[in-house]
Amino acid sequence: MSQTPENKKGQVETTGHVWDGDLREYNNPLPRWWLWAFYGTIIFAVVYWILYPSWPYADTYTKGLETVSFTVQDKDGKTSTVTEHWNSRALFNKDMESSPSALAQKEWLAKVKDMSFAQIAANPDTLNFATSMGHALFGDSCAACHGSGGQGVLSQNPDGSYPNLTDNNWIHGDSYEKIVSDITNGIHGSMPAFGALYKGDKLTDLAEYVLSLSHQPGVNEEAANRGKSSFATCAGCHGANGMGNQMIGAPNLTDAVWDFVDVPGAKNIDAKVKLVEGVIDHGLQHQMPKFGERLSPEQIRLLAVYVRQLGGS
Amino acid sequence: MSASTVAGMAEQYNYDIVKKFAIMAMVWALLGMSAGLYIASELAWPVLNFDIAEITFGRLRPVHTSLVVFGFGGSALFATSYYIVQRTCQTPLWGGKWLPEFTFWGWQLSIGIGVILYMMGYTQGREYAEFVWPIDLGILVTWVAYALVFTMTIRNRSQPHIYVALWFYMAFILATAILHIFNNLAVPVAWNSLDSYSLFSGVQDAMTQWWYGHNAVGFFLTAAFLGMMYYFVPKQAGRPIYSYRLSIVHFWALSFLYMWVGAHHLHWTALPDWVSTLAATFSILLLLPSWGGMINGIMTLSGAWDKLRTDPIMLFLITALAFYGMSTFEGPLMSLKSVNALSHYTDWTIGHVHSGALGWVAMITIGSFYHMVPRLWGAKLYSTKLVFTHFWVATIGIVLYIVAMWVSGIGQGLMLRAFDQYGNLAYTFVETVTFMHIPYVVRALGGALFLSGMLLMTYNLYMTVWGARREAIDVQDQSAVAVART
Repeated sequence: MSQTPENKKGQVETTGHVWDGDLREYNNPLPRWWLWAFYGTIIFAVVYWILYPSWPYADTYTKGLETVSFTVQDKDGKTSTVTEHWNSRALFNKDMESSPSALAQKEWLAKVKDMSFAQIAANPDTLNFATSMGHALFGDSCAACHGSGGQGVLSQNPDGSYPNLTDNNWIHGDSYEKIVSDITNGIHGSMPAFGALYKGDKLTDLAEYVLSLSHQPGVNEEAANRGKSSFATCAGCHGANGMGNQMIGAPNLTDAVWDFVDVPGAKNIDAKVKLVEGVIDHGLQHQMPKFGERLSPEQIRLLAVYVRQLGGS
Repeated sequence: MSASTVAGMAEQYNYDIVKKFAIMAMVWALLGMSAGLYIASELAWPVLNFDIAEITFGRLRPVHTSLVVFGFGGSALFATSYYIVQRTCQTPLWGGKWLPEFTFWGWQLSIGIGVILYMMGYTQGREYAEFVWPIDLGILVTWVAYALVFTMTIRNRSQPHIYVALWFYMAFILATAILHIFNNLAVPVAWNSLDSYSLFSGVQDAMTQWWYGHNAVGFFLTAAFLGMMYYFVPKQAGRPIYSYRLSIVHFWALSFLYMWVGAHHLHWTALPDWVSTLAATFSILLLLPSWGGMINGIMTLSGAWDKLRTDPIMLFLITALAFYGMSTFEGPLMSLKSVNALSHYTDWTIGHVHSGALGWVAMITIGSFYHMVPRLWGAKLYSTKLVFTHFWVATIGIVLYIVAMWVSGIGQGLMLRAFDQYGNLAYTFVETVTFMHIPYVVRALGGALFLSGMLLMTYNLYMTVWGARREAIDVQDQSAVAVART
């Protein structure tokens, strides 16, 4: 029973058990290399345990022999070196303090610290640094809405539109200080809904007038003329001639640049009128979050340099 | 024991339940892998979302994982465990007709309803344990019945010894019960609500989840499929298992060590450093015990390597063991903290899982099914040539998949940690996504190849079974003729 046809000279015996007609097992010893490799992993594990935090006991754990040193600064600005048992928090502190990239970034940040926006932008080296940092910050904080290149999203649905930052057309102004304050505090861009005020033909006439401001081909001049008087309501923000007002973020309506609704993408003038009617009817509610709590003032300064240059200013 | 006695026993065996589970394994395989191919395509071409919530990546992903792991893998384990336990204990399944039948319906309904609920947005939000609490209870009852049927059958064995495959299945059944119960401990919001809150919170919740998550890999996808391997490899090779001693040592080492390693999924998080260390070192310790199964399987064939030229089923089984060896080497490597810092949160993990899931779990199952299905239905396999074709299509598919994920994962990992000369991050997240597009296309292609292999298999097995029925009818017809003549 313990013999099998393959049982040649030097081959070990089977255990003698048989299952399901022909299932047998040899009783070969553990392969030597396997056993030694297993012992090897045990030695590896034990050495690891000796060096690093590992086994819990009572209400603490073995700390291991490895240490990490890093510098701390007390509230008077005095620095001292701290050595702790190996732990990932200390490792992070050490990395932030002495890794080549952390040191490089610190050096550049110190360089631009006392420079004005204009100085940073004028010097190719510091501009490159601002662009490099702005690119990283923009990708993480801004690209989700404004697109990875800042090209924004222009949709026929105003709720799905995000302003284009590359067209040198600034809704809220292009001064560095304004960009910094907008990033820090966020923007609440809102246009009231005028659906209650303008309905039917009156609404259409007003929309025709708005489109005539940027000389859209195919505008019904007659209707536009009729709508002109209604525009008085809009003039409060967009100005009497529709040139807009950057102080309150009212877009210029005469420049054929559309930030919130895809008028250029509409098939024909009727569709364009419909889109503008929709905006007048429902108003706009756009909220850009404030990043003042997420990014440091220094980061926002450099991001502003990056964003302003995206638009070509 | 002569062959004729064994054949005589076959009549008492409950093959009906094995057939049912085998059929459902194939059904879930096709559905689950199609879902996988679809979400892989969504990642390459996001427009495939069509803005339909039910088919977005977030909802279809657990559909894919649950169907392939529990639907396909689970049903395949039920089928093979019921087949093997009867044949190696030489006793019919315990529990009469109805208890095994209950495990079938309990399992299939839980999974079917569970994945429909995923698409409707009901999930527990725990990876590989997304089923909502009523489904968890259904699975629990089913599992207890399964444990009863299985262990009672072993108790009734007419063999003095318990075959090694059965140890692995028992470890799988016991561990899965423990894991399922503890990870799903939750307080329902209300009795008529599908929502619930986990009993654990914070880092303890995360640790419980990954203790479960990794042991689902360890006991569901490894130990149980080793059980499958320990039966079908020596059966198909017609040779004894290489080493009884090795099987004992690696069984206990594997069972003991797996339980410790789950926390390696949480390196560099709020997890205490000492927990990370233990998880990493135990993962390294796990390497050789894992390889014990591979050695035992591959060495079983030593001296009969020529079989690989003529027997595509053996090819599947041995290649499965090779992939098993590769991914159990890759796993401990990735569990080291420094490697994990690069690999974690990237597609390297996805590639690793699939080299295990496609290369090991699916291939060992495919090989086992090609062996088992003809025997279940008493038929000859329809086409060996098609099995060869299936093998090559599947293998090329897996290789494309894994390589694409290595490129995508290691590439993204390197991009996310790259700094420029100013010490700023060189790439933004979205730039890494752009980079991953081509690997994603290749991955989808690999998945499509693997799925088409499964379609070939379905056709081949269907024709095998259909052929068997035809023969049975022929025999009946002939005997009817014979009766008429007398």
